[in-house]
Amino acid sequence: MSQIIKQEKKRSFVTAPTAALLSLLLPGLGQILARRVQRGLLMFGALVSIVGLLVWRITLLGRLAEGFWPTLFKSLDRAPMFVAFGLLAIAGLWLWIVIDAAKQTNPNRQFGNSIFVLILVVFFTIGWQISEIDLVKLSSDANEAWVPLSKILWPWEAAVTHDTDTVEAGAKVLVDSEGQAPPVPEKTEGEPYLRVSPRKGELSKLDEDNQVIPGTKITVYGENFEPNTRTQIWWSDSIGNEFRPRYQGEYVSVMTDSEGSFEKELIMPYRLIPPSAKGQQIHKVMARQVSQVGPPLPSQPLILTIELIIETIFMGMMATIFGIIFSVPISFLAARNLMSTSWLTLTIYYLTRTVLNIVRAIEPLIWALIAVVWVGLGPFAGIVALTIHSIAALGKLYSEAIEGINPGPIEAIQATGANKLQTIMYAVVPQMIPPFVSFTIYRWDINVRMSTVIGMVGGGGIGFLLVQYIRLLEYKSAGIAVWFIALTVAILDYVSAEIRQKFV
Amino acid sequence: MLEIKNLTKIYPDGTLALDDVSFTVEDGEFLVVIGLSGSGKSTLLRCINRLIDPTKGQIIMDGQDITAAEPSELRRIRRKIGMIFQHFNLVDRSSVMTNVLSGKLGYINPWASLLHKYPPGAKKEAMAALEKVGITDQATKRADELSGGQRQRVGIARALMQNPSMMLADEPVASLDPVLAHTILGYLEQLNSESHISVICSLHYLDLVQRYATKVIGLRDGQVVYRGDREDIRKMTDGQFKEIYGEEAVRVNAGEFDQGEK
Repeated sequence: MSQIIKQEKKRSFVTAPTAALLSLLLPGLGQILARRVQRGLLMFGALVSIVGLLVWRITLLGRLAEGFWPTLFKSLDRAPMFVAFGLLAIAGLWLWIVIDAAKQTNPNRQFGNSIFVLILVVFFTIGWQISEIDLVKLSSDANEAWVPLSKILWPWEAAVTHDTDTVEAGAKVLVDSEGQAPPVPEKTEGEPYLRVSPRKGELSKLDEDNQVIPGTKITVYGENFEPNTRTQIWWSDSIGNEFRPRYQGEYVSVMTDSEGSFEKELIMPYRLIPPSAKGQQIHKVMARQVSQVGPPLPSQPLILTIELIIETIFMGMMATIFGIIFSVPISFLAARNLMSTSWLTLTIYYLTRTVLNIVRAIEPLIWALIAVVWVGLGPFAGIVALTIHSIAALGKLYSEAIEGINPGPIEAIQATGANKLQTIMYAVVPQMIPPFVSFTIYRWDINVRMSTVIGMVGGGGIGFLLVQYIRLLEYKSAGIAVWFIALTVAILDYVSAEIRQKFV
Repeated sequence: MLEIKNLTKIYPDGTLALDDVSFTVEDGEFLVVIGLSGSGKSTLLRCINRLIDPTKGQIIMDGQDITAAEPSELRRIRRKIGMIFQHFNLVDRSSVMTNVLSGKLGYINPWASLLHKYPPGAKKEAMAALEKVGITDQATKRADELSGGQRQRVGIARALMQNPSMMLADEPVASLDPVLAHTILGYLEQLNSESHISVICSLHYLDLVQRYATKVIGLRDGQVVYRGDREDIRKMTDGQFKEIYGEEAVRVNAGEFDQGEK
């Protein structure tokens, strides 16, 4: 603004009322003719953008309504605060601009810049509406986020598992068909024993309205089970498919008494018997006690997470190594001090720089999408994507390191009678090591962090697993992956900082 | 003996840095080049060992034309010419020892030197060179841990490793304290008088010039505007000095040389 203030003594072309009238017809015109060209253009631009944005939002809010007024009313109905504020703001701004135009014709008048504050407020409001910010939802539904969040924050119950031991006994029943009921099972000394009564009955059925017609009520007697232990009731149909019958939504289960016996009433569950089924339908009722035995063992999610975090670290490492191999020669082409000898080398320099900048501007995730099409799903696609991006990023950093070397030592070593190779080895390489090491470690750090997400688009690594767990709503397993990612990144951060400090 | 004949240097951007410069340096001479910054002193010194290729003219050292030398020949010539610099030009990240040993690079097998393998005597020689400039205790330090004066001594030690018959010193004391200037120039004088190494040195302070030079040439805009021997310099007045340096020049006292170690 200071520039404009210096021009203050310029005389206006028009009088105050004319300027006001002109700005009423075309906002900003009055200011322009009062020789405040920048100010006039800025106000005109601001008002036009605000009107344009508001029209767009009103059209969206009032869509499907026919005509101008119905659209406006519908939008006003859907977002009364926003639309009303928008319309009022436009009217207010316009008026303000008119008054401002009149003021600007007086060259001695101090400029009021509060109008720009209003313009900013209007833009902020429109931005709020466009980005669908919903603070009510943010606070009212916060508890929804708590369930997955708490599981992710403390997922360790899912990290261990136990071997299980099963104590089981079964008894056959005849269902939905005529004939002899199956015999009562034989008792064996020391083995769990189960019998049912009656041993014949009707399964639950569904009527036309999908209402359950309860089947026969049977009683299950168990003996010789583990005492005082929860026992699951299972059902097995005539072809051996097992399932757990439910009663009022809960799985049927029973506690054994102190002698390991129980008695439980049970309504025969619903099971569709295909019309093609012939002969006697013998089903089986079973009682099962599942107990954890032995030491805690790593669970499948834990093992998978560890496997994939190793894959991830190595993906980052491989991508960095390939990145170094390709970017070192490229960096020489992108170093201005080496390439400014002729117009040809300078052209190569600009070309290399441009390509590097474009490749670097495209995020690794997008490269990964391309690489997946190219080499298929899996870690290799991730490595290809990260390598491409690393070449561009390291190429630029290395070339800047080359540009920054001190020519003094080169001169001094040359003066001793050293040849070119010796000069490079003694004067150039020692100067290059610290930035090279520093940039390379930094890049490895980035690559490992990137490879944790690159799996989300199929590029292998732990991101692949993480996305799967989240989609399956297995938040605890996802939590294990998140913890390992956080740990790896933290350790890497620390290690890379330490190494860089040692070398610089 | 070094003969400079009609030496001219025009940089690619058209700057005339040296304009038909001719002079001779007898063996064992301490030649001081004076002149303003940009008068061509650095260019002149760098032309002698061809860090900069002259545009025209000849440089003949002991009968051999340096300007016409092939690369391998040039390297053999360079190793007989030690050089020290205003900004020392040490490799900061390497140890003092490595910096000194790099003075031997022109003598040893290039492939062995890439692996930092030196002939058996080289380390002893390097220690001897460091002892000459009095900093043997710094040998294992990194070059950038040293003070300015110490670093210039490493520079001298590196040049000594070349076993030179001539020393080029490009404003060797310009970035040092005046008191240290005498120490550094003292070493050069010692080399000059004891080992009969001719020295070509650019300097700024008239006091120092009067104290050390056996012969002086003054450069201005690439041309030789003053020639004088020991006697002439002693008698040199501030007026003459100003003539070389231009009207704005003021004589700066560089401190008492008696305090310098000798």
